[in-house]
Amino acid sequence: MRLLLVGISHRTAPVDVRERVDFQARGLELALRTLASRKPGGSAGEIAVLSTCNRAELYVACDEVTSTKAELLSFVSAFHDVDPVVIQPHVYDVTDLEAAKHLFRVAAGLESLVVGEPQILGQVKEAHHAARQAETAGPLLNRLFHSCFAVGKRVRTETGLGSGAVSVSYAAVALARKIFGNLDGRNVVVLGAGEMGKLTAQHMKSQGVRNVTIVSRTMAHAARTAEAIGGATAARWDDLDSALESSDIVIAATGAATPVLTKAHVEAVMRPRRGRPLFIIDIAVPRDVEPAAGEIEQVFLYNIDDLQASVRENLARRASEVARAESIVDEELGKFATWLRSRGVIPTVVALRQSFEATRRAELDRLDFKLSTLPADVRDEARTRLDEITHLLIEKLLLTPTEQLKSIGDPETATLYAEAVSRVFNLADGSAERDTRDSGLGTRDPGSEARQENRVEPFSRAKSRPGEGRSGRSR
Amino acid sequence: MNLVPFALYVVAFVAYGWHFARRTPVIGRTATTLLVAAALAHTFIIGMETMEAGQVPVGGATSFISMFVWLLAVAYLYTEVTTDERAMGVFILPLLIALQAIPALKAPEVHSAVLRGPLFGIHVSSLLFAYASFALACVIGITYMLLFKEIKTKHLGVFYTRLPSLQVLDQMNQRAIVVGWVFLTIGLVAGLVFAIQAHVPSMLSFEDPKIFVALICWAVYSFELFAARRIGWAGRRTAYLSALGFAIVLLNFVPISYLTSSHKF
Repeated sequence: MRLLLVGISHRTAPVDVRERVDFQARGLELALRTLASRKPGGSAGEIAVLSTCNRAELYVACDEVTSTKAELLSFVSAFHDVDPVVIQPHVYDVTDLEAAKHLFRVAAGLESLVVGEPQILGQVKEAHHAARQAETAGPLLNRLFHSCFAVGKRVRTETGLGSGAVSVSYAAVALARKIFGNLDGRNVVVLGAGEMGKLTAQHMKSQGVRNVTIVSRTMAHAARTAEAIGGATAARWDDLDSALESSDIVIAATGAATPVLTKAHVEAVMRPRRGRPLFIIDIAVPRDVEPAAGEIEQVFLYNIDDLQASVRENLARRASEVARAESIVDEELGKFATWLRSRGVIPTVVALRQSFEATRRAELDRLDFKLSTLPADVRDEARTRLDEITHLLIEKLLLTPTEQLKSIGDPETATLYAEAVSRVFNLADGSAERDTRDSGLGTRDPGSEARQENRVEPFSRAKSRPGEGRSGRSR
Repeated sequence: MNLVPFALYVVAFVAYGWHFARRTPVIGRTATTLLVAAALAHTFIIGMETMEAGQVPVGGATSFISMFVWLLAVAYLYTEVTTDERAMGVFILPLLIALQAIPALKAPEVHSAVLRGPLFGIHVSSLLFAYASFALACVIGITYMLLFKEIKTKHLGVFYTRLPSLQVLDQMNQRAIVVGWVFLTIGLVAGLVFAIQAHVPSMLSFEDPKIFVALICWAVYSFELFAARRIGWAGRRTAYLSALGFAIVLLNFVPISYLTSSHKF
């Protein structure tokens, strides 16, 4: 039982290849169901598809890696109707713990184009959700994804990997938030009707500012830009002072060759504002606002270079947090590996339980003959009670050995214990021993194990018939 | 006895400092737990002193400072729990430690029989609340100035990533000043009425430096409120005034209490 990852990402493929294998376009569920119907992983049948604009990855629990990989590639090319030759050179594949590590790094934001970007964790959650909806996620993938959520959450709270704005317009919004707190109800004035001003204003608008006013020397341009932003108003250049007076944030982006806002002008505007702070973002080149205006009390003046410097600093800070994020990935990977190894003893545990249950059944059947001499109502009562008590007895007796077996982290010790238990309790066919010696993952098909476990663990009295425990084993 | 909360405040400060630097959630929770432990130990000690003296021990300067530290710790814990904002702890705790050092090293004074009755209670407890509010305003004002400087000079760093926004700090500062001013006024009036009723002439003298400095405090904070409402002073100027006002409060707390014989009855 192996874990296989096959994928394409921004590191290996250009955008024209990536967009041709985008699973989001037709929906993850369709992709999952189509792939599941081809049974790529053999009996395991666990599949998850992670699809973002920068990556398309298939996570599969399978019995055999090489054939599954070929099967996945042929699925991708068939599903997207792309020649395999086109995608083949860009595809990477990793297995087992390496595959788990890759997903952990993806969830942490370490594999993202912009390191630490926040959306990726949501997209990973979506991939898992879709797999659950399509019923293609089993114990292995469920555990894998939950571990990677833990990684994502820890990296976000314990490191600064995702902190600080890494684009100029985000940096401007972040600064505005640090000055004003909430942007709701703030007024923004944009000087100039050009593209840059429009983009920044749109960004501000999406952050909940109340009012955006476009002021331009040409009223028609201002009106057109205001309309393009949606919900913005246009004002004449003559009304600039009154617009500035009621504003909190000014985005200066005209094409003027000389400053349109001098220090004296800003000072005059500040007087009636009575100490209300004014945040001026000068993204024009050449600059629109006299640098000396930044000396005025309660005026915060940032030009495009200042914002870019802040972006560079944030990128540098993120880079310095990478090591901490990596160590979280390694830590969680260690936990996941321990869990994987502990799964090696599950067949032995199942066999042990089945053997106990068979004995219980046999004894109850023998007793049934003696009970038959009793009156009908007493007999039924006695049967129920006996059933309950013997069931509880077995549960209690097996609790500690089960826990002990599952808690063994080292695969060799686990194999030794499993062998010993099999021999002591004469768990006949030796299947348990063979299973624990398996690959690095050290487990059998988790799907069928879980199914077996589910059937046996509750000792479902209503369903089971005498002798089923042993003879009913499906290996 | 007062050494136990003092030591706990010191340990809590270390934890808050560590949390401020590294921002590890576990350390943050540890810091809060330590501060809660310190406040509980402090509560216990004040309770014991109350049992011993038969009244809340606020008559002398040392026990007044101990009460003040306790109140400030509880007030800070309240704001931390309600806002889930731990960055301020590292600024508040040095003040708590510096002031708690006095009761930790000095035995409380014996209480005079004159200092009893409901008016005296109102006088002392109002001033306690007022000074605690001013202390909070001062710390908030200092953090405002630190953040303001970072944004203004475009060196976005330690405080930028950790403190709430300038607007929030300014509002918190102004609120603390309003609450402090109201309690200061009530405390001064109650003291005046108490002194008149007690017929002790030395209680009502402007030559008593403690009364004189308290009145200066009142004038400074009154001006701050007036300036914020009428002249539109906000932000850095109010922050400066908050720091100045509390410096005067501290002057009344330590040098005047221990270096002069003023206000002892």
